[in-house]
Amino acid sequence: MKILFYGRLAEAIALELEVGASPGSSVADVRERLAAEHPGAAAVLRNERALSLVRDRLVRDDYRLAAGDTLEFLPPVSGG
Amino acid sequence: MSVVARLEEEALRPEQELAALLSEAKGDGAVVTFTGVARPGSKGGQSVYHLVLDHHPALTLQSLEEIAVEAAARFDISHVRVVHRCGDIAAGEAIVFAGAAALHRRAAFEAADYLMDRLKTEAVFWKREVGERGSQWIEPTDADYADRERWG
Repeated sequence: MKILFYGRLAEAIALELEVGASPGSSVADVRERLAAEHPGAAAVLRNERALSLVRDRLVRDDYRLAAGDTLEFLPPVSGG
Repeated sequence: MSVVARLEEEALRPEQELAALLSEAKGDGAVVTFTGVARPGSKGGQSVYHLVLDHHPALTLQSLEEIAVEAAARFDISHVRVVHRCGDIAAGEAIVFAGAAALHRRAAFEAADYLMDRLKTEAVFWKREVGERGSQWIEPTDADYADRERWG
């Protein structure tokens, strides 16, 4: 499964990562695995203002990922 | 009614945006605009050379459009214009322009205030300062989130 990162998560992990998540895994499952593998990014991944996207739509932690999904992790946003 | 929301990859020229808004606002009695400018110094007083605003290929423009449309629906205004830079922005350059036109001033002031409170906390960008202390990510402050909450 492909995962895209933005902002400080892209800096801490990568812009793009391929992980072997099994279909049916939840967003929370993938995030916790990433947090364990990248402890420097764990706080941002778990930040309550961080967002998760699949096909440009916000998804909740319990969203079940299908084969072929690309998951995107967005740290808290900051405009203006 | 017109609602303009644009992501600008090149220079943002606030005077041109104001001219466009004034031209659209014929018949209105009030045009209020805000221009955000990249500061040459950090909160800690160190020099900042430029800002970098990363954006999302789909969600960033969508967030600007949503905020502009919701301002138009919420206030008694006739025109909204939101233009936001992305990419590298040198200190002194404009980052964001938010403007509203209305028959009377109060609605235009409130709409501009609302636009900026939402843009600071909900526009989909990731911002970092590059300067004498290296590169530092900048996130909204508690005050920014509290300002956003004023509008419910």
